[in-house]
Amino acid sequence: MPGQLHRQAPGNLDMELANAQSQDGESKGGVLAHLERLEIQLSKSHKKLEEPQREQAVESALGTKIHKLRLLRDKLSAEVKQRQARVKVSAANVEPDQTLEISEQEILERKQENVKAILQAYRFTGISGKLTSRGVCVCISTAFEGNLLDSYFVDLVIQKPLRIHHHSIPVFIPLEEIAAKYLQTNIQHFLFILCEYLNAYSGRKYQADRLQSDFAACLAGPLQRNSLCNLLSFTYKVEPKDQSFPFCARLLYKDLTTALPTDVTVTYRGTDASATTWEEQRAAHEHMFFTKPLHQVFTSFARKGEKLDMSLVS
Amino acid sequence: MRRDPAGNVGRAKEMDETVAEFFRRTILKIPITEMMAVLKAWDFLSENHLQTVNFRQRKESLVQDLVLLCEEKRASLNDAALLDIIYTQFHRHQKVWDVFQMSRRPGEDIDLFDMEQFKSSFKKILQRALKNVTVSFRDTEENAVWIRIAWGTQYRKPNQYKPVYVVYYSQTPYAFVASSLLKSNLPLLGQALTVASKHHQIVKMDLRSRYLDSLKAIVFKQYNQTFETHNSTTPLQERSLGLDINMDSRIIHENRVEKERIQRVTQEIFGDYPQPRLEFAQYKLETKFKSDLNGGILAEREEPLRCLVKFSSPHLLEALKSLAPAGIADAPLSPLLTCIPNKGMNYFKIRDK
Repeated sequence: MPGQLHRQAPGNLDMELANAQSQDGESKGGVLAHLERLEIQLSKSHKKLEEPQREQAVESALGTKIHKLRLLRDKLSAEVKQRQARVKVSAANVEPDQTLEISEQEILERKQENVKAILQAYRFTGISGKLTSRGVCVCISTAFEGNLLDSYFVDLVIQKPLRIHHHSIPVFIPLEEIAAKYLQTNIQHFLFILCEYLNAYSGRKYQADRLQSDFAACLAGPLQRNSLCNLLSFTYKVEPKDQSFPFCARLLYKDLTTALPTDVTVTYRGTDASATTWEEQRAAHEHMFFTKPLHQVFTSFARKGEKLDMSLVS
Repeated sequence: MRRDPAGNVGRAKEMDETVAEFFRRTILKIPITEMMAVLKAWDFLSENHLQTVNFRQRKESLVQDLVLLCEEKRASLNDAALLDIIYTQFHRHQKVWDVFQMSRRPGEDIDLFDMEQFKSSFKKILQRALKNVTVSFRDTEENAVWIRIAWGTQYRKPNQYKPVYVVYYSQTPYAFVASSLLKSNLPLLGQALTVASKHHQIVKMDLRSRYLDSLKAIVFKQYNQTFETHNSTTPLQERSLGLDINMDSRIIHENRVEKERIQRVTQEIFGDYPQPRLEFAQYKLETKFKSDLNGGILAEREEPLRCLVKFSSPHLLEALKSLAPAGIADAPLSPLLTCIPNKGMNYFKIRDK
């Protein structure tokens, strides 16, 4: 068909010429255009011939590049190894310094733990405290005969006037009175007096609790007591084997700063005719209640009983 | 004449009708779920006795059986009164408690409180003044005693159904009284309490609530029991009062600084501890009306305005604590609201200075 360019296999120029000739009578553009086309085709086929060459050139260029890079890589890895070796050597030299740093930190940590432990252990002295944002929180730790008992707190606000923010002192301890007397003028004395009251109360309470729990079998009925544990009244026996409870005791603690009674009354309410031995016992008991802690009096009753048993056996 | 199950008509007559009725009504009040616990605390009927009773039957029949058992065991009015005390101890919130404060003359001797002496002295004072009065006691933990008083008159027997309860902790100046007290009997009760406990004066505090334990915490100052020590391992944590600022990263709080200030102020005033429980605070105002506007009907009156403002809540102090964090009120709250536990008051009279 006229003007139509068929796709032809490269290098098939004869056929193209034949085609062009068959289209005789066409304008010059036709032939020139055809020539142009042929030229283009020629250059294309040249290019295609060149491609493998160019490819080869590229290939070889890349190959060189690879080679160069490999060399560079080897060089760098060699350098890295060298540096590592150097670092190791220097690390060996530096190590003692680093361990020194670690142990300094450890030392400081241990010191801090130590100080914390000392602060915590201060409660064993009886009075300890911790600073708060508004003042100080004082802790009074009570004890009786080596037994650590309850702790009580007084949270003080450091202002003029000094005041108590809140506390855990029992309501029957005369805190307001003691504060009215000493808090503003002599805070050491205030704390000391409070300490006395609380330790004595704790001690009396401890004795009463021990009597109730350890020697319930020796008591007829519950121990009569009050909040301050400053009046104790009970009916008791000495021998666990006894059927009756021959003695009545009434202990008054008029001095609230002591844990031993100020007044003791023991009465014998048995029906035994032989008065003298009972009177001796009664007086002995009175003396013991004055001088020994309550539960220890009963412990010594038990021991005497054991001695008696032993003497009977032998 | 009544017949008990064994058919012994004569013995049943030994218990007074009124006492039997009192037993019946008291036992009837006890909910079935608590029946065993209350009877065990009462300790009048032993395990063996209780085993003879069928606790699964209808309540009315159960009550009848128990009353008959009490009659058999010759229970007295005092035993019934004791049962009533125990029931009230289980249901203390059903009563409204007032607080009274006693005082001594300064320089008095040490209080050597003897519980038995107190009880006998208290009873004697009432019985000397009023022939017809029933007084019963029950000791409790913490060296305290519950007292039940049924009042009569010179000519009438004590009314067992309108008793007064008093709770007293030895060697303290406070007594808690469950109202239903005729005003006429109040001075006598006050006298008995002060003389028996060796005080000289008694005054009613402006403090009232159903929650006996909260009243005790307030006057004994036991409500704030957190203290800073070196022994506490956990540091005092900041509590968020119902508003967690960092809850959702998509929410940006524009007034974070203000919110934090409110939390800090609230924490300073109310602390980290659970608040004692009160149901209301009442303010009686007798003040002149103050107004910014000139003129107006209420301004420039000679007489003070009288009005009553009452705040009610199932838990008043917790509610007040949450006001500022919830944005309903400014922080700090008015000292009239925040002084309640400190001053031990929830009734206020406000006058012009």
